[in-house]
Amino acid sequence: MGVDRKAEEERLIALMIGYQKGNMDDFEGLYAALKQPLLRYLWTFVRNATMAEDLLQDTFLQIHRARQTYTPPRPVRPWVYAITRHVALMHLRSGRRRKEMLADDQLPEIPVPPEMEKFADRATLHQMLSELPHHSQEVLMLHHLLGMSFQEVGQILGIASGTAKVRSHRALKALRERLGEKEGGDA
Amino acid sequence: MNTELLPESLRETISNDLAPVRPLPPAWIRTLYAVAVAAAGLAMVVAAFKLSLRPDMEQLPMWLSWGCTALQLIVGVVLVGMALREAVPGSGVPAGAVTLAVSTGVLMQILVGVATWMHSPGMPLIKGHGLKAGVTCSTHDLALALPALAITLWLVFRALPLRPSIAGLLGGTGAAVTADAINHVLCPMSDLRHVLVWHTGMLFGLMLVGWFAGKLWERKRFGQG
Repeated sequence: MGVDRKAEEERLIALMIGYQKGNMDDFEGLYAALKQPLLRYLWTFVRNATMAEDLLQDTFLQIHRARQTYTPPRPVRPWVYAITRHVALMHLRSGRRRKEMLADDQLPEIPVPPEMEKFADRATLHQMLSELPHHSQEVLMLHHLLGMSFQEVGQILGIASGTAKVRSHRALKALRERLGEKEGGDA
Repeated sequence: MNTELLPESLRETISNDLAPVRPLPPAWIRTLYAVAVAAAGLAMVVAAFKLSLRPDMEQLPMWLSWGCTALQLIVGVVLVGMALREAVPGSGVPAGAVTLAVSTGVLMQILVGVATWMHSPGMPLIKGHGLKAGVTCSTHDLALALPALAITLWLVFRALPLRPSIAGLLGGTGAAVTADAINHVLCPMSDLRHVLVWHTGMLFGLMLVGWFAGKLWERKRFGQG
């Protein structure tokens, strides 16, 4: 973990401790720090900006109800992302998703892992990423875009860190193969 | 502070319910709570049913009598600890570890039963009395497991298990293995038909109870399951 990451994690822990003590400013700080990365993560589930915003509110309500289950000084992010993932999965299971999905041309951009940007233009990568199975997208998002360690990814997904690493490796390999097929097809 | 980022409805909901909370202790401390309550419960059940050690204790080698009981107790406590860990978001137990732990608990119960039968036939299974003996032993198993099961599930559901049926399954198996560890040195019968039908059957029954309790809790808490 880099110095910035460590400092950020320590800041999140301090905010979480303050929030558990009943400090509203600390909750707001937590919300401000986590809003954007959580929205990006929620997008990978619902592909709908408005729905992601709604689910973000649900997520923070769940976080609020479960705030005593966070034990300092454990890292905050695996705890928060596991709750977020659960909120998204519950939403998907509820069957509301299909009615609320937007057409493809209205989808927000699916972020592209920096490692992949050298392989093709962004539009192609977005297309390829969106075609990957969700569990592959999720690991790529958590590890490559949100900068989590494989241990943290494993904690969020309830899998071993080795399994998270293998999934990430396979997802990148699948992306490369699809890009190779596309280039072969274009030639 | 970035107050403009926070939707007003969310701000109002949170600020109206912002009482200080005490963080949950780490899983190992909650496991110690569970062990203390379960131990007291086991002692009360043994006293209430006036249970005594099996008559063939001296025929069994130490590793098979108290040794296996100690080993099963350790496995039971580990399973309870895993259930309590699973109950906290972001510290879920990998599926492989769940499978391994649950299988170990079940296999150990069966292997201890077989090894005991090979060393000592115990009290013979009298024709026509198998059902009565089985019901008695199952009642003891259930009573011995209940304190551990109740405290474990209470601690699990007080947290926020995101996979409650898995947490319940781990807790149910842990409680059942703990009860079997004690009943192993109390039940006078070694006949495999008795052990596999009634004791192993109760083990599976308690596993199902834990799993089902998780499903019910999930339905109540999240409206699904």
